[in-house]
Amino acid sequence: MGKLKDILSPFTAWGGVIKDPVTIKNPIGRPAAPRYRGFHKNEVDVCIGCGSCEAICENEAIDLVPVEGIKAKDGDSGLRPMVDYGRCCWCALCVDVCTTGSLTLSDEYTWVSENADEFRYIPGLDKKDWDKNENGWKKPEPNYEFYSLDRVKMPELHAQERGQSFIEFITGYSKQQAELEADRCVECGICTSACPAHMGIPEYIKAIRNNDLEEGLRILYETNPLPEICGRICTHKCESVCTMGHKGDPISIRWLKRYIADQNPSEKYKEILNAENLVDNGKKIAIIGAGPAGLSTAYYLKLMGYQCTIFEKLPEAGGMMRYGIPEYRLPYDQIDKDVNYILSLGVEIKYNVNIGTDITLEDLGKDFDAVFAGTGLHLGRSTRVPGSDNKNVYFATDLLREISLGQEVPLTEKIVVIGGGNVAMDITRSLARLQNIKYGKVDILATCLESEDIMPADREEVVEAREELAIVDPGWGPKEIETENEKIKGLHVVKCLSVFDENKAFNPKFDEENKKFFVADMIVESIGQGMDLSYLSDEFKENLRFSNRGRIEVDDYFQSGIDWLFVGGDIIQGSDVIHGIANGHKAAIGIDNFLMKK
Amino acid sequence: MKNLIERLHIKYSLTDIVNQRDNFVYLTIRKENAIDLVTYLKDYEGFSHFVLLSCVDWIEDGKFQLSYFLNQPNKKFDIAIRTMIDRENAEMQSSHHLWKHIETYQRELREMYGINFPKNPRIEENFILEGWDEIPPMRREFDTKRYSEKTFFPREGRKTYDPATYMKDKLYPNAPITAKVNKKDE
Amino acid sequence: MSNLFNWNPDRSKYPLMKEDGSLDVDLSSQKFTKLWVGPNHPGVTGNMAVEITVSGDEIVHAKTHVGYLHRGFEKLIERRLFIQGFPTCIRMCVAEPDYNEYLLSKSIEDLSGIEIPEMAEWLRTLVLEMARLQSLLRTVPGQGGTFSLGLGVQWGMYLRDLILDRFEELTGGRIYHMYILPGGVRGLLPDGFKERLEENLQLIDEFIIKIKKLMFDNAVFKKRAIGVGVIKKEWVDQFGIVGPNARSVGISRDIRKDYSYLKYQELDFEPPTATDGDIFARSTVRYRELIQTVDLIRQIMAKMPEKGDIKSPTPNVLHWKIPKGETYTRSESSRGEYGMYYVTDGSDKPRRINLRGPSYNHAMTLLEHMLVNANISDVHAIMVSLQTCPPEIER
Repeated sequence: MGKLKDILSPFTAWGGVIKDPVTIKNPIGRPAAPRYRGFHKNEVDVCIGCGSCEAICENEAIDLVPVEGIKAKDGDSGLRPMVDYGRCCWCALCVDVCTTGSLTLSDEYTWVSENADEFRYIPGLDKKDWDKNENGWKKPEPNYEFYSLDRVKMPELHAQERGQSFIEFITGYSKQQAELEADRCVECGICTSACPAHMGIPEYIKAIRNNDLEEGLRILYETNPLPEICGRICTHKCESVCTMGHKGDPISIRWLKRYIADQNPSEKYKEILNAENLVDNGKKIAIIGAGPAGLSTAYYLKLMGYQCTIFEKLPEAGGMMRYGIPEYRLPYDQIDKDVNYILSLGVEIKYNVNIGTDITLEDLGKDFDAVFAGTGLHLGRSTRVPGSDNKNVYFATDLLREISLGQEVPLTEKIVVIGGGNVAMDITRSLARLQNIKYGKVDILATCLESEDIMPADREEVVEAREELAIVDPGWGPKEIETENEKIKGLHVVKCLSVFDENKAFNPKFDEENKKFFVADMIVESIGQGMDLSYLSDEFKENLRFSNRGRIEVDDYFQSGIDWLFVGGDIIQGSDVIHGIANGHKAAIGIDNFLMKK
Repeated sequence: MKNLIERLHIKYSLTDIVNQRDNFVYLTIRKENAIDLVTYLKDYEGFSHFVLLSCVDWIEDGKFQLSYFLNQPNKKFDIAIRTMIDRENAEMQSSHHLWKHIETYQRELREMYGINFPKNPRIEENFILEGWDEIPPMRREFDTKRYSEKTFFPREGRKTYDPATYMKDKLYPNAPITAKVNKKDE
Repeated sequence: MSNLFNWNPDRSKYPLMKEDGSLDVDLSSQKFTKLWVGPNHPGVTGNMAVEITVSGDEIVHAKTHVGYLHRGFEKLIERRLFIQGFPTCIRMCVAEPDYNEYLLSKSIEDLSGIEIPEMAEWLRTLVLEMARLQSLLRTVPGQGGTFSLGLGVQWGMYLRDLILDRFEELTGGRIYHMYILPGGVRGLLPDGFKERLEENLQLIDEFIIKIKKLMFDNAVFKKRAIGVGVIKKEWVDQFGIVGPNARSVGISRDIRKDYSYLKYQELDFEPPTATDGDIFARSTVRYRELIQTVDLIRQIMAKMPEKGDIKSPTPNVLHWKIPKGETYTRSESSRGEYGMYYVTDGSDKPRRINLRGPSYNHAMTLLEHMLVNANISDVHAIMVSLQTCPPEIER
């Protein structure tokens, strides 16, 4: 101590008095950094109310609440997040997890109000000054995700290999693949409402994650007694609304369902599903048609204690699932697995029985307590263009049925298919396989009114058909089938500009100048199916109500104008397996209610 | 160090050895020998830096796991000694005489888990909590959420909706979502 | 063998001992007064209190009281998903929240076998050093503050604010950055960030010269700091002293060197040490660390790549499960060894996390020990010189 330097040196700080102060005079209104985590913003039109923000919030600051002007609909829960700033810690996990990218934070950080309740609001709906602020926290890009956006690729046979035969080409997920895929689900449950059967999708996906496949099977059978079938060929409306589809690929819900069903051996079903000791209440139900609707009705009625007898026109069960869907998509042994389980519960099927000729509907009405008719759409529809009456013009449904029955089907080297739905793709790909087997090459073309983007067929069907060397040339309206001496030369088409008018009614518009000619020696029409109601006698029909489109009118529980007759499936709701299953389940409840009241 | 672990294994009949990293080993030992081992490592093997004394509640096994983390500063090696003690009337031999700061750790464990360390000075003194009359709060069965709901005032009028349930109520209230099963009375 | 050293503080001046060795203080004798230092921020340390018994102006007994900041974060994190831990854990040390984020993320990555991209490692290193810098900008002049030298504190606070501006730019938050998350970090450097940070560092370079003249070449500061609050070398292991407090008595231990993590092995630095172990020595060590941190940040900015992935893929965070296991991870915070014990049980939530903060030992056993025989006017100085941070004691 005592060094003079040590006494003088601190006084150098006086140098500061001649400097400008560094303090900011008025800090209010100082703009925050562009990444600042301020108050929430939400694009309510993009948001679908999946609730991931609520799930990830560690402070329970977010509630999902119904809001005015937004209704629940397919793919949108109708709920929107409401933030409680008494709890929010501005960590922005909600932003990073947001499945649609609608939720962001603004760069606003000052907000004064005397009313504490104002600090609870719905971002985007309750208008705030910072709604238009460009800056603020957004999910970092790229390669920054809280879940995988990419679907686990389903292993499948190469197009060249699968095009040679009818063996199933989708090989199914392994355990590891299924668990990875199941891991992507955010458990919002938006899929459940889009599924016609309202299956517990998040729950069975969770069962896969927990590797509890028996629980998974139980969840499946709550609403769907045909999981092997649906796991392969369901139209998966769930996947089209899947919340993961907004930024990435939707979850492979269908393949996951198949995984659960595949992994459970059929001999253990009864034990897993605990279907022993069912009541027999002595009441008898007749079911016409062993398709999805009929099988589903029988299954759920059987669980409730009814004796069910199914009358099937064809030699085997499955309806359109067996006779409409090609084997490479849905192998017959998988249909048998689902059907045999239903039969093992005591459901009876009488094959090769034609209602109307072998036994009348009226007789069934007398012999049974109630009748369910799920007779399906098995008749082909014609384009009725000139030349369509030629004997080398076929209906897709007829050909598919004949292939399934193992019969020889007509086949030529150059085929044109008219139609753009899944059935059209089925017949295209089936005939392509047959061509491959018979001629060693594929020469088949499918055309339809709808342009590529609105083709009714599933996207992967079109892609796979092309992989298998079939040509798909959409957007053409058939004009005339050119024939010469009863032999087909080809199909004349004109460009189709639009299929539906402003009222969304079917009213195609064509550009007559833009023409094309598809050379062919055989033509298959696949533009929709019709129902065969010939089993209804005229007298019977008078007592039924029909809609102006010719469909039988039924109530919510599929009860027709004649109280003991319930009708469901394709003839009510159009061709779709999962709708049929849902109809069947509801009809079973309807029949139960009807008979319990009686 | 591998040599040391082998020696310890023979000397103290360790029940488990886990190599977490190249320079980090977990040793599991019976309760009676734990403090012996800690003392041995400190006095003879140069584990002079005591890092942490912690407790894990394995409520389903009825056990508390005590973990003593020791560090050998020269060889830059860590050993964590784990031992299981009963949850009922939890008690462990005190090791406050080895390092001064263990006293605080033991006070904390006494308060937060209810583990007694007889002979630890000031063991009865409050560490963090004053006037606490609930069960020791770090035990698994202590429910923080219920405690906070009981103690504080949640904001009025908050209600949240589950998307799937809400959509069911709005879009398909009558659709069956479970199978109805009628079984014979057993 | 274990009990080689004298457990009790030197009470030769006040040999008021009962027969069993406990202290015999009779307040009614009018020789003693009890005083509370704190709990309202006694120094720049945070809310804690020291209950001291004085005789005249000398302390005969001290007891640390904590609990004013106890929020039970360890318990809260036990009840939250793995991803929800990192915004929760940061508050376990307000002064340097990034170390909490880092340790939590590192533990989760360790236990679930995730490797983070190189860019993320660099960014983590940068953020941790920036956190050290802003913490030292408070503590180094803060030591002067305990001797009523407030000017340095104000200089430091201004510069710290500039670093917080950079944090705001990079992470979106000023104090709680919530930047390091399991799997990586939450953003690349914004455009022009390095230039702006370099501008700030240049101001800090000037400050480094100015604060030396103001504090370390200051007769008053020297008089108050030299020879006061001495830590003896043999205490280091006995009391679990770490970090600058240990280095100030010549024990060179630094996690960054000894158990190198992130990108520290690619950086050139040698932890500064001193030998005296008094307040002045600790202050000098921190001062030299401040200089070194500025240098480290410059090294990091020069060596880090411009672009790269910031996050490794993780399982879906909403149902991320980690197999049963436990790990202890550590890092060198500005106060010393900062560690986290992390136990998982196979579920989607941790079974136990335990933070090992350096203040736990410094502010409790060590401080209680050091204050005995100290002068009442040195309480704050000793407390600040240990750089205690109460929230990490009680979590």
